[in-house]
Amino acid sequence: MKVSKRHPASFRDPAGFVFEQEGLFYRQVNQSYAPHYDKLMQSGLYADLVKEKKLLSHTETETVVADPSRWYKTLLPEQLAFISYPYEWCFNQWKDAALMTLAIVKKSIAHGLILKDATPFNIQFIGTDPVWIDTLSFETYDETKPWIAYRQFVECLVAPLLVARHLTPDLQKIMMVYPEGIPLKIVAKLLPLKSRLNLNTLMHIILPSAVAGNKKAVSNNIPVFNKQKLLNIIDNLKTFVESLKTGNESSVWNNYYEETVLSSEYVEEKMILLKRWMQELPVQTVLDVGTNTGYYAQMTAAAGKSTIAVDADTACINRLYETAKKNKLTRLLPLTIDITNPTPAIGWGNQERTAFLSRTRTDLCLALALIHHLAIGRNIGFDQMAELFSTIAPWLIIEFIPKSDPKITLLLENRADIFDDYHEESFSHAFEKQFAIVKRQALTHTGRIMFLMRRKDNHPEI
Amino acid sequence: MRHFLLYIDPGSGSYLVQAIIAAVLGGLFYFKQKWIQIKSFFGRKGKQDQTDNPEHHEGL
Repeated sequence: MKVSKRHPASFRDPAGFVFEQEGLFYRQVNQSYAPHYDKLMQSGLYADLVKEKKLLSHTETETVVADPSRWYKTLLPEQLAFISYPYEWCFNQWKDAALMTLAIVKKSIAHGLILKDATPFNIQFIGTDPVWIDTLSFETYDETKPWIAYRQFVECLVAPLLVARHLTPDLQKIMMVYPEGIPLKIVAKLLPLKSRLNLNTLMHIILPSAVAGNKKAVSNNIPVFNKQKLLNIIDNLKTFVESLKTGNESSVWNNYYEETVLSSEYVEEKMILLKRWMQELPVQTVLDVGTNTGYYAQMTAAAGKSTIAVDADTACINRLYETAKKNKLTRLLPLTIDITNPTPAIGWGNQERTAFLSRTRTDLCLALALIHHLAIGRNIGFDQMAELFSTIAPWLIIEFIPKSDPKITLLLENRADIFDDYHEESFSHAFEKQFAIVKRQALTHTGRIMFLMRRKDNHPEI
Repeated sequence: MRHFLLYIDPGSGSYLVQAIIAAVLGGLFYFKQKWIQIKSFFGRKGKQDQTDNPEHHEGL
């Protein structure tokens, strides 16, 4: 008998669950959910949403059954290459996810269904497109009832945007602390006074936070609802989300290429070299660490490689996300991740939402103009870097920045130079413990050196 | 408080909130419609005033 393993994050919903069998992810639909599932499929909603790329497509299969006692159907969904979590998204990714959720609700209502949950963990980005992945989130719509997932939507998809808008752009990471949504009482306390003088904030944040915990508020004297009232609320939420924009768009790194001391000759020389090396490599997937505005990640994505581009600076990622959307770079997934403090594993048994490094395996890792920030900015040794990069990918393209570089002078301006070991020999020595250096090419304009490395075969990851 | 709330129907608090919001939005919609009516009433009148002004007639 084939072994099927239930996905550790799939236990909340009695309608069904996700399981893995022989490397493929399936979703079982339980008997109890049968009427809703049939309605989703027969009403035309499924077809419409899949056509609009808002819902992950699936095929039904009879051959795989995980739990026969409750079984109704087994679905084989379109397989996802990579899972990202909301606290790794930039502001505009979050905003697009919220708007897509509202669009799904509206379309569902038109087909006599509604979303029964509205958590961003049900959304994945396929390149730059947000897609709803939970097929079992739909239920038959009762016109006399308001939206059951309203509070969840506000706490999970509006509140993080709002605190990010009014406090600091990367505050969406607060979802790591409140994966079930930020309690509105806390949101209300966080928001500055002037942001409350907004009708939408008053209605959707301040009012519910005042009502929460009030026993009288849950009495049965609630007037009957109707479809028009709900559509008004959905439209109003849409206007609210659309009105939210990132506060301060400029950041430390945002204008790197425009204002930097680095010459365009340097950038172009590096690009030509990178393109040449890439052509020779058997890689399909790329992780670009410290991508900045993603100049090189855009190139790898345009060349057809599925590229995850990460940077600690969420303003850079926000800008890259917009660029990728504009240029239709569908293979580029920008994420706000600080490689010196990557996303930890959270949730039940620490298995529900996995750590970034344990779910990220690519063919190639790019570490361009990065190591001086790690070594001198964060005191991370070359040995540690080599070890980390070797867990990510069998191929590594890494740029060595010599100590004479003006950027390092800048980094050392306000601190003691305790980095006697920072030189090419110690760099190569450390990396050669994990990698074989395949190519070494100095960049003529700067004295920076590009390395192409291949992980040694005795590495346990291979 | 929040944990207490989890033991009752998680939707019920938000039902009241949605009822209030729906009422507010309904009220706003009503006044907006009235405002548009009032504006269009005066707007039309304004237009008539303009066309009564010979300087705005074509051919003059």
